[in-house]
Amino acid sequence: MALEKHDNKNLGGGRPVAEKGEHIVARHLIEDDNIKEEKNLVIDGVDVSGRWNTFIISRVNSDFDRSFFEEIKKTVVGSRINRCWQCGMCTASCTVTPLYRRFNPRAFIYMMQLGNLKELKKYIDVAWRCVGCYKCSQRCPKQVNPAEMMEALALVIKKYFQEEVKTKLKLDEEVKKIYEDMIIGHGRLDLAKLHTSAMQKSGKTKELFGKIERGAILKMLKDGRAFSVLRLGKPHNWSSSKEAIENYLHKLNTIENSEAGV
Amino acid sequence: MDKLKENQAAYYPGCALLTIDRAYNNSSKLVSKKMGIELVEIPDYNCCGIGEMKSKGAASMYMPLRNMMIAKNKLGSKNLIMACSVCYHEFSRSITRVKENQNELSAVNAIFKEAGEFNEEYIPDGEARHILEFLYNEKGVEEVKKNVVKPLKGLKVAPYYGCLYSRPSMYTFTDKKPKMDNSERPRFMHEFLEALGAETVFYGNEVQCCGGRNVVQDEETSFALCSQTISKAKKAGADVIALICPKCAGALDVNQPKIVEKFGKDSKLPIVYLTQLMALAFGFSKKEAEFSDMISEPLKVLNEKGF
Ligand code: SF4
Ligand code: SF4
Ligand code: SF4
Ligand code: SF4
Repeated sequence: MALEKHDNKNLGGGRPVAEKGEHIVARHLIEDDNIKEEKNLVIDGVDVSGRWNTFIISRVNSDFDRSFFEEIKKTVVGSRINRCWQCGMCTASCTVTPLYRRFNPRAFIYMMQLGNLKELKKYIDVAWRCVGCYKCSQRCPKQVNPAEMMEALALVIKKYFQEEVKTKLKLDEEVKKIYEDMIIGHGRLDLAKLHTSAMQKSGKTKELFGKIERGAILKMLKDGRAFSVLRLGKPHNWSSSKEAIENYLHKLNTIENSEAGV
Repeated sequence: MDKLKENQAAYYPGCALLTIDRAYNNSSKLVSKKMGIELVEIPDYNCCGIGEMKSKGAASMYMPLRNMMIAKNKLGSKNLIMACSVCYHEFSRSITRVKENQNELSAVNAIFKEAGEFNEEYIPDGEARHILEFLYNEKGVEEVKKNVVKPLKGLKVAPYYGCLYSRPSMYTFTDKKPKMDNSERPRFMHEFLEALGAETVFYGNEVQCCGGRNVVQDEETSFALCSQTISKAKKAGADVIALICPKCAGALDVNQPKIVEKFGKDSKLPIVYLTQLMALAFGFSKKEAEFSDMISEPLKVLNEKGF
């Protein structure tokens, strides 16, 4: 059920899927030049062509950025980054990995542990796809809570790759903004408004007036649910909560406070 | 507001159940009442944050915990019952985190203090309860059986728990007292459905995900996941899929016409809430259970089967 297009040009920073080393599960994590594989090779009369002689040259990573690690550790969502021992259970459990092979929570956590921004940058286009299903956190043997590490990853991306966020993650950011405005601003969620504004933001204005949408809207007008949405209102005195929340967010001096200028 | 009586329990409806998903709200109240518990809505609730605030530290915990404060202050109840799995997750996450982490508790209490709505500090001594495990543990399967007047004989149901009812157990303590469901293979809904006289089918996607936090911004992924769930249930012979979360309904029911448009008729199957089926078996009419609210038209198959 893979949804990712195996179109080399569209991999958005990912390496093209070369023929060599194709059988390696997380092939995209390895530089092309680091894979040695002879198409035709016979040793002592035994045919070891192709995948039978694949060899991965070990890489050396010497520029760790520990300050980066501390920065993540300070956040609520990333507070357990030090516990990860790279077993890969999260990736094996993940809902998204089978759909988008380049989405690999274990690898993302590793890159964050090393402070390897250069590597992380290559995955901005898939990193936001976590659906928050918590299968990884359920099964992680070290209680790292990888589901929330993906939230920490989003914070990292937001802080360090503002340009890319503006172009590649515009929709995700905008929808998040709609949610936040409603949740903090009004204290309650207007689902109808959320739906229509998200569709507008994603450029589906035409679809919004299409048959399916019209049918649903008409149905809810008829049975009265459309009006209950309008009646939902705000909690009393929400403004005092709103102010307190905004002050708190303002004072946060971790990456949780970084704003992407969308 | 008066404190609760013995047969009453504090209830958090959430935004979806008060509006689009009123069928779930009303049927939850109907069946709870039949089983001997009156759900009393807390006054002046606020949204739980729906998981979209998670990366905002203590602010994300303030959202659900403010409701816990209301339950305690206004209704005298430490615990709060809810039917939305996302709310349940947000409440459980916040309560567990502040219980285990003094810094986070202080940060939340600082927000409470500044907002100045309550005279006391928040103490994490209560629990969030999901309506399914709550009814199961407080009233039990026998109580369900006792109330069945119209057994759902011949109805094949695919129970869909989704993610956040049972996962992650580090927050919800699904396998621990007082909940005691299985976090990898939950079974309470199965037992309830069978008590109603319905047949449950095994289809393998019981605890799959519908696209979760990205249902709105990543339809492509959500549609693919939902299409898989629906078509597997259909292949296993299910007449309907039963849900316990309004967000799952958003993905599987409200979006179903679009999923069918993309993936074909295999992805077409009526979706209902567990509590709607319970109401039906308890003798309420189809109108009272508000089956007509569902986009995927469960009324057709229910009529065909003679319920
Ligand atoms: S399952 Fe946990 S310990 Fe294993 S790689 Fe994932 S986060 Fe790390
Ligand atoms: S929560 Fe995110 S990272 Fe974890 S299994 Fe689900 S989709 Fe994958
Ligand atoms: S999870 Fe949904 S329904 Fe529940 S309170 Fe939050 S926004 Fe409202
Ligand atoms: S199935 Fe979807 S709505 Fe239900 S709990 Fe999982 S992510 Fe949330």
